[in-house]
Amino acid sequence: MDQKHIRNFCIIAHIDHGKSTLADRILELTETVSERDMKAQLLDEMDLERERGITIKLNAVQLKYKAENGEEYLFNLIDTPGHVDFSYEVSRSLAACEGAVLVVDATQGVQAQTLANTYLALDNDLEILPVINKIDMNNAMPEEVKQEIESIIGLDCSDAPLISARTGLNVESVLEQIVTKIPSPSGDPSHPLQALVFDSFYDSYRGVIALIRIREGSLSVGDKVRLMATGAEYEVTELGIRNPREVPLQTLQCGDVGWFAASIKSIQDVRVGDTVTLASSPADVPLEGYRKMNPMVYCGLYPSDAAKYEDLHEALDKLKLNDASLQYEPETSQALGFGFRCGFLGLLHMDVIQERLEREYDLDLICTAPSVIYKVFLTDGTVLEIDNPAKMPDASKIDHIEEPYVKADIMTSDAYIGAVMELCANKRGIYSGMDVIDNGRNMLTYEMPLSEIIYDFFDRLKSCSKGYASLDYELIGYRKEDLVRMDILLNGETVDALSVIIHRSEAYQRGSGITIRLKELIPRQQFEIPVQAAIGGKVIARTNIKSLRKNVLAKCYGGDISRKRKLLEKQKEGKKRMKAVGSVVIPQEAFMSVLSMDDNDRR
Amino acid sequence: MPGIPGIALWYHEAMNPTHTSKQQIDREAIPSLYLHVPFCASICYYCDFARQIYRRETVDAWLKAIQTELESVQPSHSLETIYIGGGTPSSLSEDQLETLLCLLDSYRTETKEYTVELNPETVSEEKLNCLKRHGVNRLSIGIQSGDEALLARMNRKHTKADIHRLVVQINACGFSNISMDLIYGLPNETMKQVEADLNYVLDLKPTHLSLYSLSIEPGSVFGKQGVQPIDEDLEAEMYESIVRRLLQEGYEHYEVSNFARPGKQSIHNRNVWQYKDFIGIGYGAWGKEGNVRYDHAGSLQAYLKNPCYREKVLLSDLERQFETLMMGLRLSEGVFLKQYQEQFGCLPADTFPVSIAKGIRRGYLEEEKDMLRCTGQGMELLNSILVEFMEEAEV
Repeated sequence: MDQKHIRNFCIIAHIDHGKSTLADRILELTETVSERDMKAQLLDEMDLERERGITIKLNAVQLKYKAENGEEYLFNLIDTPGHVDFSYEVSRSLAACEGAVLVVDATQGVQAQTLANTYLALDNDLEILPVINKIDMNNAMPEEVKQEIESIIGLDCSDAPLISARTGLNVESVLEQIVTKIPSPSGDPSHPLQALVFDSFYDSYRGVIALIRIREGSLSVGDKVRLMATGAEYEVTELGIRNPREVPLQTLQCGDVGWFAASIKSIQDVRVGDTVTLASSPADVPLEGYRKMNPMVYCGLYPSDAAKYEDLHEALDKLKLNDASLQYEPETSQALGFGFRCGFLGLLHMDVIQERLEREYDLDLICTAPSVIYKVFLTDGTVLEIDNPAKMPDASKIDHIEEPYVKADIMTSDAYIGAVMELCANKRGIYSGMDVIDNGRNMLTYEMPLSEIIYDFFDRLKSCSKGYASLDYELIGYRKEDLVRMDILLNGETVDALSVIIHRSEAYQRGSGITIRLKELIPRQQFEIPVQAAIGGKVIARTNIKSLRKNVLAKCYGGDISRKRKLLEKQKEGKKRMKAVGSVVIPQEAFMSVLSMDDNDRR
Repeated sequence: MPGIPGIALWYHEAMNPTHTSKQQIDREAIPSLYLHVPFCASICYYCDFARQIYRRETVDAWLKAIQTELESVQPSHSLETIYIGGGTPSSLSEDQLETLLCLLDSYRTETKEYTVELNPETVSEEKLNCLKRHGVNRLSIGIQSGDEALLARMNRKHTKADIHRLVVQINACGFSNISMDLIYGLPNETMKQVEADLNYVLDLKPTHLSLYSLSIEPGSVFGKQGVQPIDEDLEAEMYESIVRRLLQEGYEHYEVSNFARPGKQSIHNRNVWQYKDFIGIGYGAWGKEGNVRYDHAGSLQAYLKNPCYREKVLLSDLERQFETLMMGLRLSEGVFLKQYQEQFGCLPADTFPVSIAKGIRRGYLEEEKDMLRCTGQGMELLNSILVEFMEEAEV
C-alpha cells in the first residue's frame, strides 16, 4: 500500500470516556476481528487491564478500511493508556501518530485528563478529531459538550461525530474523518532508516520484540540494525504487523507501524524511545521527542520467601522489557532481607507492577510504603537524594531537606469545592487559584507535596466528590520543608522498612495513627508486643499488642483429624505469608499501612 | 456380594502383599468402632457434619448399606468401645433403631463402653428401652444450652421441658453414665449466660460434660451467614471460668473441652486421642487403621450404592508422629513417651527438637514421668504450638 493511503492514529480520552469501546467497534467495523472472536475490549490484553477496565500496555493494530471514495486505506491504531500515571506512555504513542481521535463523554464533558492529553497531542503536532461519545445515554448533552470543547480547548467541533461506541452508532463517520482529516505519513522511503521504538515486550522464544513506527526508509528481514542510543547491533530475524494477531511480513515501509524480532536477548539493548537504523547506512541523528521518564514514586519490593530473591530479580527484568519507566536496584533491609528499591511513575503504576509480579510470576511480595525522592542537604555541603526513609542520615548531619512539589489541577463541580479544598488543606496543599470553566464547573489549582498525593489522594478525592472530580498533576520542583524521619519500633527494635519521612508538625498524629493501625494489623502472638513511634530516639507514641490468649480447636475427634489438620495448615500458610522480623511476625499489608490513614487519624 | 470390593481386596490395592496379613491380624486388635448416623430431624446452625433431614425410606436403605459394610469389614467380636454418633442417632424410628442395634449385637460381647448420642426432642421411652436391651451403657445428650433464646439462635428444636422429661426417663430406665454437651461463645453471649448454662447443666447431674466454644465452620449455616467469632479475650475468660467451676464441682478436666466424674472419662474418645486405631462405619464416618485413614463415598447416595468404598489417605511416619501429638496433647495427661518411642523408634524431641524446647522454655509444655503434656496455658494455645511443629518438621 502506498504511503498516501496510510493513517496512523491513536485515541485519547479521560478515563472511562469510552476509548477502548470505540477501539473495539473500529476493529469490528473494519472486519479486522470477527464478532465471534470479539471479546469486549480486545486491545486490553492482560487480565489485569480487563478487570480494572483500564488500558496499561500499548498495543498497535493494523486495519484495512474501504472509504466512501472507493479506495482502501491502511489504518494503524495505537491504543493509549488512560491514566494520569501513564502520561509518558501516552506521549510515546502520540509520537508514532499523525492524528488523534479525542473521545469526550457526552454526559461528563471535558475532564482534567481530556485537557492534559489534548495538550500532549498538540505538543506532538497531531491533527485532533473530536468525537462526542455516549450520546445514547439519557443524560447526554452533546451540544453543550461541543461548545465546551470549543471554548475550553479551542477545537472546532462543528462536524464532530456524535457517536455511541457501545451501540456502534455513527462510528463509520469517525473512520471517514480519519481518512479525510488525518494526514498521511511524511517520510521518504529512500532515506536512511529511522524507526521509533514505542513499546517492546519479551517473548521467551524470539527474545525482545520491539514495536516500531518507520519514520524514514524501510526495514526488511535480514537487515542488520543498530539501536542508536545503545549502539547494539542485531540482524532482523522476523518482522510484521499485528491485526491484532501477529502477521509476518518481509518488509516494513516508510509510514508503517509494526514489530520486529532480532534474537535480542539483552534487555538493556532495546530502550523504549530509541531509534532503530541500519548498520550499513545509518541515519545521521536519532529521532527527537522521546524523553527518558523518571520515576516519581519509590518503594521496596521484597520476596516473602527469601529464597525467591532471584525469581523476583528475573521477573523484574522481564517486566522491564515492556515497561520503559520501571526502575529498580537491589537493596537490603535489616527487617526484610534482600530485595529491590523500585521506581514507578505513580501509584497506579506501582500497584499494577506489584499485581503482575504476584499474578504472572507467582511471587509473594512485601511492599514497603511508597516514598518520593528527597533532597537532603548535609552540613558539610553535600547533597543526597534519598528515596528510602531508612537511608535518611542522622539528623545532626542534616542542614535541611527539600521535597518535590506538584501543581495539581482538580476539576470539580460547585457542590464539592468545599470538600476538595478541605482535602487539599489536609494534604498540606497551598491554594493557588480557581478558574470557573463554565456553568457549575471549576478548576482548582493547588501546589502540594508529591508525597501527599502518592498514597490515597485519588481515593479520597473520589469519595469526597462522589466521583465528580478529576485530577492532573505535574512536578514543579523542590521546596525546603521541616521534615523528619519517624521510626517504628516493634518489641523494642526498629523495623527499618516501616520508617517514614513526614512533616514535623504532623508527627504526633501520624505516630499515634500508625501505631494504632499496626496494632490492628499485626495478629496477636505468644508474647506482648510494644509498638512505638519515635523521632531521633524519642518515643512520641506507643501502644501494645496483647499476647495471644486462646488458640485451640474446641473439638477434635476421630472424624475431625483430616479437616482440623487442614485448618492448622491454613494457620501455617498464613504465617508463611507474613514476615518474621526479629521475634515478631508481621503481615504484608502492615508495611504499607504507615501511609494509610483514616480521616479521623488526621485530625 | 459380587461387584462390591470387599475390605480384603481393598487392602491388596493399598498396600504391598507382605503387609496384608499383618493388617488383617491388626483388625482383630482394633479396639474401637464409630458408626455415623447422618440423619437429623432438623439442622443445627453450627453443624457441618454429614447430615440430612430424616426420611424413613432413605434410612431403610441406609440400614441395608450399614449391614453390607459391617459384614464386609468384620470388626473384632471383642470391641472395647462402640460409639454411635451423628447426625442424630435418636432421629431413627424405634424399629429402625432396633434394626441398627441388632446389627452390632455380635460385636459387643466384651464392650466396656457403648455410647449413643441423643437429642432431647427425638427420644421416647421405647427408644431408651431399646438402647438398654442392646447393651448401650452411656448416653451423650446434646443439650447445648439451657437458654431458650440461645437454643433458638442455634436452631435447636428442644425446650427445657424436653430435657427434664428426658432426664426423668433416663433415670427410670436405669442409665447411670450420662454425658452432656454445651456450646458457649455464641454471638452476643455474655459471661452471665455462660454461668447460668453451667448451673443449669450441673443441676442435671451428668457424669461427663463436653463444653465447646462455638467454632464457625465454613459449611455450617453460621458459616454461610457470616457469623463472626466473639472477642478472643472474652472467649478465653469463659473457658477459664468453666474450667475453674467444674474443677470445684469435682469434675476432672481431662481433655481441652471434656470433663468427667472420676472413672467416667470416655474410653472411646480417649482411645481416639491416644491415636489408637478405630473402625469407622457409615457415610460421614472416618476410621484409622495403621497408616491409613479413610472415609466413605462422597455422598449418601454414593454410599448406598457402594457401602464398602473407602476414600483412603496414606499417612507417612512423620504425619503419624505429628497427629499423635496433635491428638495426645489435648489430653491433660499428655502423650505417653514410651509408647511413642515403641511406635516410631524416636521421641517427639527428636523430630521436633526446637519447638518442644521452646514450648518448655515458655511454660507451654512440660515433661514429667515419661509423659509430654501441655500446661494449662499451653493447652489454650495448642494450635500455635502445633503450627510450630508443622513448620519445624515440614509436616
